[in-house]
Amino acid sequence: MAKNSVIINLKKITKRYGYGDAESYALKNFDLKVKQGEFIMIMGPSGCGKTTLLNIIGLLDQATEGTYLLNGESVEKISHHKKARLRSKKIGMIFQDFNLIPTLNILDNVTLPLVYAGKTKLTREKRADEILDRFHLQPKEYYMPDQLSGGQKQRIAIARSLIAEPEIILADEPTGNLDSRSAHIVMEELKSIHSEGNTIIMVTHNPSLTTYATRVINMLDGGIDTDIKTVADKDLPEPVKIHFNKKGKK
Amino acid sequence: MSLLLRTHYRLAYDSIHQNRTRSFLTCLGIAIGVAAIVLILSLTGSIQKIISYQVTNTGSDLIVIRPSSEKDTTENILETLTSSNQYLKSNLSLEDITTISKIADVKSVSEIAKSELTVSADRIDDNGKAYTSTINSASVIATNPAFIDIQKLTLSSGTFLTNKNQPNTAVVGHDLSLRLFGTTEPVGKTLTLLGQKFIVIGILAEADDQLNFMNINFNNSIFVKADYLSTLENNLQIQQINVLANSKNDLSKLSTEISEKLRETKNDDTNFSIAYGDQISHPASGMLMIVSGMLTLVASISLIVGGIGVMNIMLVSVAERTHEIGIRKAVGATSGNILLQFLFEALILSSLGGLGGLVLGYILAFLLSVVTSFAPYIDINIIGITLTTSVTVGLIFGIYPALKAARKNPIDSLRYSR
Repeated sequence: MAKNSVIINLKKITKRYGYGDAESYALKNFDLKVKQGEFIMIMGPSGCGKTTLLNIIGLLDQATEGTYLLNGESVEKISHHKKARLRSKKIGMIFQDFNLIPTLNILDNVTLPLVYAGKTKLTREKRADEILDRFHLQPKEYYMPDQLSGGQKQRIAIARSLIAEPEIILADEPTGNLDSRSAHIVMEELKSIHSEGNTIIMVTHNPSLTTYATRVINMLDGGIDTDIKTVADKDLPEPVKIHFNKKGKK
Repeated sequence: MSLLLRTHYRLAYDSIHQNRTRSFLTCLGIAIGVAAIVLILSLTGSIQKIISYQVTNTGSDLIVIRPSSEKDTTENILETLTSSNQYLKSNLSLEDITTISKIADVKSVSEIAKSELTVSADRIDDNGKAYTSTINSASVIATNPAFIDIQKLTLSSGTFLTNKNQPNTAVVGHDLSLRLFGTTEPVGKTLTLLGQKFIVIGILAEADDQLNFMNINFNNSIFVKADYLSTLENNLQIQQINVLANSKNDLSKLSTEISEKLRETKNDDTNFSIAYGDQISHPASGMLMIVSGMLTLVASISLIVGGIGVMNIMLVSVAERTHEIGIRKAVGATSGNILLQFLFEALILSSLGGLGGLVLGYILAFLLSVVTSFAPYIDINIIGITLTTSVTVGLIFGIYPALKAARKNPIDSLRYSR
């Protein structure tokens, strides 16, 4: 992926719920271009459509109208099967409440995207070792999620979102359930991931976190209120995926 | 693909392992249904084996003549089963024995006329007091001296019926002798049948096989001469004529000859059937098939109940794991992946139930063999039928919950509160 290339292009995206008098819009004629290497922070009041936007970008939800180009290819008409494949290979998701499977240990949780990407057990475990090592959580790979703190759980969730080397990382209020210290650690991790050239789109309510972003979008009533770039496109990090290069394996 | 299948298998295994009690009870439901089917099939197989063994043991040179046209059709077997007076319409007679015995290739002929009669004998109790021992419905077989050779029976003491001794002689089966006389050595004692005294001249050795193609329990029967009994009982019905051929070859030719001779003497009355070889056991086997088929049908109801148990538990599992489904879909699982994951779980549950049922069924069959003479019958077909059935039950009852899981919307699933 070349530097500054547009990886996400949303054109007049509308998401409508209900019919007739009950009709409401989560997104209305929403336009957005996301370039490779951007760290976008999306803010706005509750119900302004932030999570819906993230779900549409993450291919978990479908827009009622409009065009969504992912790497230049339209994704409206592709099958559920292909969307799932794109999710496993190109998109990493981080949620506010971590969304780890409580019955699986850390290793199995982290390697889950690779299971669906069809990687062998050996590859999965090798990658998990590397990525957990990066997050200093390798000694806990056989722990169960409920044996970890909130901050550790979120770092596991970040590790899971990164393991399949996605092009985009979507984070829906990743610090929402964390204390300030854990939130800081998690944000530092995201900053580090971004510095390696990853594209991150993050939804947050916390204005103090905008310092990490290269672009801050304020949403209001399903549209963009303000869109401020804090870093020029030319200064965006190079697209290098260092996280698996640490041991010179890739 | 195989990698994914292995992963699904592991996921399913983990899920079952995490809910051991619930999974065990679900498997038990399937296992009971399967065990019932295994038990029935094992018993049927065992009985069929006994019957076919007896036919082979009695001789491949045996021809059997039975009244009415006993074709091997379900209607005829059902008619035989449901007809209360099947013995009263026999058109075979003692004259037929004479007719058949005159045919050149016939070595010996014996008739079987079975009736349930009251039999009594004088006994002395422990205090030296005389009393009469009575059995109300003893199985009395009217036949002729050739019966013992044709049937290859052995005596524990005395002799079988002969043409030399008096007509009012009787040979008693092992168990009946014990019940009537309190001893297995009653030779020389008398018993009373139809108001006539019979002298016991022989005792049959205890026979292991309580079931045979003639439906006679030799251990519990009294054998008397048919020609003498017919003088006492006007309506003596011959249910079967056993013919021993001189040679094993040309049984078909001989049976045709017998058939023609009988028609001649009976004025073209064709209400009899002639069987040899495997056909001899057909009425018994056919009846057995119907009974076992019906029993299997009843047993399969319990299997359906077991299947509903699998479906129920799978629906619970899908509901409990809605959030997990959402997470899996969010990280890249396709609907097919989710479908396979839950289908595998249902299949593993039903297969484990099937295997458990197979073992349980054979344990029950073995326990039954301790008190009856039916040896547990293990056959690759039974194992095949059982496992195929349980896998099919798993598929049928697992597909709906699996589809339900696969169709779940990822966003709604992620929102689903645990």
